Amino acid sequence: MKHKIIGKRVKRVEDPRLLTGGALFVDDVNLPNMLHAAFLRSDYAHARIKNIDTSQAKTIPGVVGVYTAEDMGDAWEPGPPLVSPPPTLENVIFNSRRQVPLVKDKVKHAGEIIAVVVAENRYIAEDAVEEISLEYEPLPAVVDLEKCLEPDSPLVHEDLDSNLAAHLIQQKGDYQKALATADLVIKKRFHLDRGAAAAMENRGLVVDWNEKDQHLMVWDATQSPIPIRNGMASRLGLRTHQVRVVAPFVGGGFGPKIMMFYAEEMVLPWLTRQLKRPVKWIEDRRENFYATTQEREQIHEVEMALSREGRILGIKQKIIHDTGAYDPYGLTTPLNTQSHSMGAYDVENYYSELTVVFTNKTIVTPVRGAGRPQGIFIVERMLDFAARELDLDPREIRRLNFIPPEAFPYNHEIIDQAFTDLVFDSGNYLPAYNKALEKIGYDKFIQEEQPRLRAEGKHVGIGVVPFIETTGVGPYEGARVAIEPSGKISAATGVGTQGQSHMTSFAQIIAEVLGVEVEDVSMVTGDTAEIHWGTGTFASRGAVVAGNAVNAAALDVRQKVLALASKVLKTPEDELELEGGQVRAADIPEQSISLGELAILANPFRGAVEPGTEPGLESTKYFGPAYGATAFGVHGMILEVDPETMMIKIHKYVTVEDCGTMLNPLVVEGQIHGGVSMGLGNCYYEKLHFDESGQLLNASLADYLIPSASEMPHIEVIHENTPAPNNALGTKGVGEAGAIPVPAAFMQALENALPEYNLEITETPLSPNRLYELLQKKERNK
Amino acid sequence: MKVQGEHLFKGTPQQVWDLFRDTEVMSAALPGTKKMELIGENIYEAVMNVRVGPVAGEFSGQLVISNENYPHSYTMTVEGRGKPGFMKGVGDVILKDQGGNQTSMEYVGEVQIGGKLAAVGQRLIDTVAKSIINQAFEILDNALTERVSADAEGREADYRKSSERDYAATVAKDLIKNVLKRTGSEDS
Repeated sequence: MKHKIIGKRVKRVEDPRLLTGGALFVDDVNLPNMLHAAFLRSDYAHARIKNIDTSQAKTIPGVVGVYTAEDMGDAWEPGPPLVSPPPTLENVIFNSRRQVPLVKDKVKHAGEIIAVVVAENRYIAEDAVEEISLEYEPLPAVVDLEKCLEPDSPLVHEDLDSNLAAHLIQQKGDYQKALATADLVIKKRFHLDRGAAAAMENRGLVVDWNEKDQHLMVWDATQSPIPIRNGMASRLGLRTHQVRVVAPFVGGGFGPKIMMFYAEEMVLPWLTRQLKRPVKWIEDRRENFYATTQEREQIHEVEMALSREGRILGIKQKIIHDTGAYDPYGLTTPLNTQSHSMGAYDVENYYSELTVVFTNKTIVTPVRGAGRPQGIFIVERMLDFAARELDLDPREIRRLNFIPPEAFPYNHEIIDQAFTDLVFDSGNYLPAYNKALEKIGYDKFIQEEQPRLRAEGKHVGIGVVPFIETTGVGPYEGARVAIEPSGKISAATGVGTQGQSHMTSFAQIIAEVLGVEVEDVSMVTGDTAEIHWGTGTFASRGAVVAGNAVNAAALDVRQKVLALASKVLKTPEDELELEGGQVRAADIPEQSISLGELAILANPFRGAVEPGTEPGLESTKYFGPAYGATAFGVHGMILEVDPETMMIKIHKYVTVEDCGTMLNPLVVEGQIHGGVSMGLGNCYYEKLHFDESGQLLNASLADYLIPSASEMPHIEVIHENTPAPNNALGTKGVGEAGAIPVPAAFMQALENALPEYNLEITETPLSPNRLYELLQKKERNK
Repeated sequence: MKVQGEHLFKGTPQQVWDLFRDTEVMSAALPGTKKMELIGENIYEAVMNVRVGPVAGEFSGQLVISNENYPHSYTMTVEGRGKPGFMKGVGDVILKDQGGNQTSMEYVGEVQIGGKLAAVGQRLIDTVAKSIINQAFEILDNALTERVSADAEGREADYRKSSERDYAATVAKDLIKNVLKRTGSEDS
């Protein structure tokens, strides 16, 4: 179908408000009589609390209350288990241990909340926090992913026999058989470390219990307003209609804001009901480093069996995944790693054993990429090493192993994060790969530029890596679309907005279907008063799941418009068209009626609505896919490393993206740019340093490095389109894609830039210091 | 964090030993010491103001001396906590007679820090710790000289109490020196 508005580079309609400071963020919410909360957080990663004395803090003028776990009484209960273990797999061990609102007896990670102060302003609250006196018994901390499984390790959860949080095995084919026929077997150990999501806006909450109205109003910087509403109502013993949650503009989510319920989200609603006054808390940056979830630490022992020609016969891996002190988010992240460790390749035999461990560190939940970057890192690095062993061109070994276009839908015979079969719905990998090679100028670089620059003493290298991303998983999202008497369109969806341009791209769908301008559509996201059902913005699924719900609702409204207009204009439906806010007979344009007039007719004040019909031109529809839509792409970069300073400069960066039908290429490109920036952070800058006692040593943006404009290359984005076969729009997700292949491509380029060292990089992130160490090690062994 | 170093004192091992066990001298030598007293055999209690970069606040804790081998060596265990976090350390101190009325003190220990001090002060703490130790030694050097000469002259020793401000100023200078050294522009 030829689109008029979908797929156009429409400028973001939300930008004028955002750029002029006119958009509402949680911190902009200030209510009369509002109190402010500050939290006492544990300095220790692992310690028993012997005594808490809040008496001094309570005497400070302006302090309204100081509360500990004991004060919560029966309202004290751990957060809900968000994602259960996969019910379809056998022999799964899963020990569910969930975060608590306030620590009762034992602190399990630094930054965990022990007490909360509520005061007339934040200054007083913070001062009072310092006056709470605490007696701790420090305990040895559980930090190392392997040592924590040794029999003499201290235990994070003492009611368990060990620090094992989960264990499962997934396999397809028969790896042992593949091994027996292999010409080459490569074994490597990988260590991928932790980073922060580091959204520019930290978390925040304003809660307001109105006793007279018996209603709780909540503003929450969350990716998931509807489940937050449901959970808050249930925790407080309220009906869902008594709670309204608004996630207004949110300054970046990246995954951690889908975590539910953070301790603060459990404590604040309880407080406002106790105090019958609004309470506000805005997370500060240091709190964010300790209390907002993180990701990516995993150890992998990987084996790849290959034929002499370079065909992958099988992959075997043992993954140890660090879930931190609790595991509320189940196995989502490591399941993603399992399902991405075969990359874009046709792998017949796969054995993957997953061990998840508890440590005295911040909770782990998905961060943009969510286990996928680790999987792609593993398979792409292994292919690089294999190509070297087999003396093959790294491009040839990839071309040899791509899943061919005729093999789709390609069933991997294991399950993915949504517990449905890992089926790649569609794809066409080779042309995208070749295009990336052409655009980055691979041949010319290898044959001419690199030798020339090397002769000048410059260390330049190239890396090109393909990847896949499972996107657009269920369970479902919904949308409501209505034509107002003014002829303008109001629409709502349950997913919150953290920068994804929902107000523009969803409006484009509606404008396309109803024949109006994008500016005529007002899109509400993240307000539970506007739509009752939904899950949230995560897993690169907005454009697929919410997008198709919007499309379905708009099509249903279009049907209602046509039915009514057909009667009014006395013209058959199939001879009508919607254009410029009017419905008109296709061949007699003057025979027309505006959408506004129709909306008024559809909501009569007298007479009767016809039996079997509904008033208004409105519809609510839901979309839930059987399985996800598989996006793919290729990233290529040319970088230069200074072997004196170890500083990196990226000279060229090319991405080929295939996310099916694009709603708005500008938005897709924005997502890629942001993703690449995060991916580069995961390569060379962003690493959370925990010491052996579980102390985070770089909990500030002065010490934790985020790539800034000066580290960012110019990024060329090329679009391919293999529409998703299982949704009407043909969309695939792209929100996380940009971050996924970057470390794999970066390390390939780095090794290529330093051939004299024969590096085999099996870790990420590196840093100038770490690269120096690796080179020194190679020097010594020379 | 590993703390390690060596300092040459002008005095006998016995004199140095005694100096280090004199709470009056020690609280004069350590900046921000609000209180230091012996509360049991070889157990001292101290309250100190600590400032590391943006992190500042009062620490209170205990210092325990063990493994005493007069006047050659002992072990020091420090444990303290306060608003800026906590610290816990164990270290060995060895005194060696170098002859000519000189004694070298070698110290080596592991200090664990946590809380705000670790999270925000990490980048600075190494330099700050070194600066504090060096300044303390300088003051102790003078105190030792004063004590030795006062003893000889049969009068009461008069120790100059260090001001927290002078201390902070010197720590800041050391920090800047360190940064300049790192960026290679020290001499410019």
